Amino acid sequence: MISTYRALLVAQIQSAAQYRVQSILWMLFSVIRPVIFLAAWVAVANSQGGQIGAYDVRDFAAYYIALSLVSNLATSWNAYEFEFEVRMGRLSPKLLRPLHPIHYSVVENLVWKLTTIIPLSIVLVFIALTFDARFRTTPTHLLLFVPSVLLAGSLAFLSGWVLATLAFWTTRVHAVSTFWDRAAFIFAGQIAPLALLPGPLQAISLALPFGYILGVPAEILRGGVSVTTALELMVGQVFWVVVFYVAFQRVWRVGVRQYSAVGA
Amino acid sequence: MIRYARLLRLFFRTELQYELEYRLNLILEILQTVVVTATSVGAVLVLFSYTTVLNGWDLGAMLVLLGCFYLVQGFGELVLQPSFEKFMEHVRLGTLDFALLKPASAQFLVTLRHFQVVALAQMALGAIVVAVGLGRIPSVGAFEAIGFPIALVCGFALIYALLLALSTFAFWFVRVDNLMALYWSFMDAGRFPVDVYPGWLRVTLSSAVPIGVAVTVPAQMIAGRLDAIGLGFLVVGSATAFYLASRFWRLGLRSYTGASA
Repeated sequence: MISTYRALLVAQIQSAAQYRVQSILWMLFSVIRPVIFLAAWVAVANSQGGQIGAYDVRDFAAYYIALSLVSNLATSWNAYEFEFEVRMGRLSPKLLRPLHPIHYSVVENLVWKLTTIIPLSIVLVFIALTFDARFRTTPTHLLLFVPSVLLAGSLAFLSGWVLATLAFWTTRVHAVSTFWDRAAFIFAGQIAPLALLPGPLQAISLALPFGYILGVPAEILRGGVSVTTALELMVGQVFWVVVFYVAFQRVWRVGVRQYSAVGA
Repeated sequence: MIRYARLLRLFFRTELQYELEYRLNLILEILQTVVVTATSVGAVLVLFSYTTVLNGWDLGAMLVLLGCFYLVQGFGELVLQPSFEKFMEHVRLGTLDFALLKPASAQFLVTLRHFQVVALAQMALGAIVVAVGLGRIPSVGAFEAIGFPIALVCGFALIYALLLALSTFAFWFVRVDNLMALYWSFMDAGRFPVDVYPGWLRVTLSSAVPIGVAVTVPAQMIAGRLDAIGLGFLVVGSATAFYLASRFWRLGLRSYTGASA
C-alpha cells in the first residue's frame, strides 16, 4: 500500500508541476472569502468601539487567517469532478483498476495542499501584518491543532465523497453540493466565528457537521478556546468522521451496483 | 442600431428555447439561486445583529448594496460569462473566422452572443433585495431615482470592459481561463462596500478590477450618498474604460490567425 501511494504521489506531483500558475490562482479562493468577512467584522468591531463579544479587531484577524489556512488544508473538491466522471462514463476504467478510486482522490488532495501551502503562507503573513493579528496560541493548542485539522480534513473529504456518490442515482449532484456549500457558508464559521453566530444558528452549527470542518480547527489554531473545550469539540469531530465513514461505505457499495456507465 | 437590437433578441430567444427544454434543471437552478441569495442576506443580518451601522452603511443601504451585487453579478453570468467562454474557445479552435466574416460588428457578435437565461432569476432577486433595502430608506429623491439606472448601466459597462480586456489576452496566450477565474474570485468581494477593505485590496478592487466600483457606486447613488460630480466621474470613467477595452480588443484581433492559416 505504501509503495502504491508513493508511486501515485510522484505521478501526481509531476502532473501538478505543470500547472504552477493555476495552483497559485486557485489558492486565492481560500484566501479571498476569509479576507472579505475579516474586513466586514473589523468594520463592525470599529463601529462598536473595537470589541464584539470576546473578539477585538486583532482576534478577528487571527481567526480569519486561521480559517483561511484550515480551509486550504481541509477542504476538497471531489463532488464536482465525480459527477462529471459518472455522467461521462469515465469512472468505468477507474473501477476496473485494483485500487479503490478514493485513493487517487486522496493523493490528488495531498499534492494540491503541498503545492499551495507555500504561496498561501506568504499571503497569510502579509494579511497578518496588514491587520496586526494576535494569536493566543499555546504549544498545547498547536499540538491539538494537528489532529483537529486532520479530522476536519477527513470529515470534509468523506462528506464530499458521500455527496459525490449520490451521482450514481442522480446526475444533479451540482445542485446538492450547492445547498451543502451554502449551509457550510452559514454554519461552518465563514460568515462569523462560531461563538458569534446568533443562538440557534450556533447550536445548529455544532449539532451538524459543518462547524467541525472549518470553525473548530480555526479556533483551536487561534488559541480561542480552552484546552478542555478544544478536546470536547474534537470528540464531535471524531463522531462525524465515523458517521461519514460508515455512510460512505454503505452508499458506495450500493451505488456501484446501481452504476451503469453511460454508453455501456 | 435597430438591427443590433433585433439580433440580440434573436440570440436571447434561441438560448431561452434551449434552456426551456430542460425544465427540471431550470427549476433546480432557480432554487439554487434563491438559496444563495437568501444565505447572503442571512450573513448580512448576522453582521448587523451586532451593529446598526457598518462604515456608515446602515442595514437598508447595505441590502441595497447586496442587491446591486447580485444585479451586477447576474448581468455578468447572464451574457458575459457564457459569451466570453465561447469566445476563448473560438480563438483556441480557430473558429472565430465565422464571426469575423459576418456582416456585423465582430465585437458585438462575439461578446453578446450567448446567454445563460437562469441568471435573470439572479438579477430579479437582486432587484427584490434592492427594493427591500429601499423600504428601509426614508425617501428617495428624483435625482437618485434617475441616477441609479445610469450608475447601474455604468457598472455593467465597467465589468464588460474588464472582461473584454482580460479575454483579449487569449489572442496571444490562447489559454487565459485562469485570468477569468481570478476575476470570479475577486467578484465575491463586491458584496461589501469597497471602503471596508484595507488599502491594497481597496485599490485593487477599484482600479485594477473595478468590481468594487461597479457595485458600490450604484448603491451609493440610490442611498443618496453620491452627488452629480461623482456620477459624472463614473459615466466618463466607464465610457473611457469601454472605449479603451474595445481598442485593445481590435489590437488583439490583428494577431489572430485563423484555423488553418
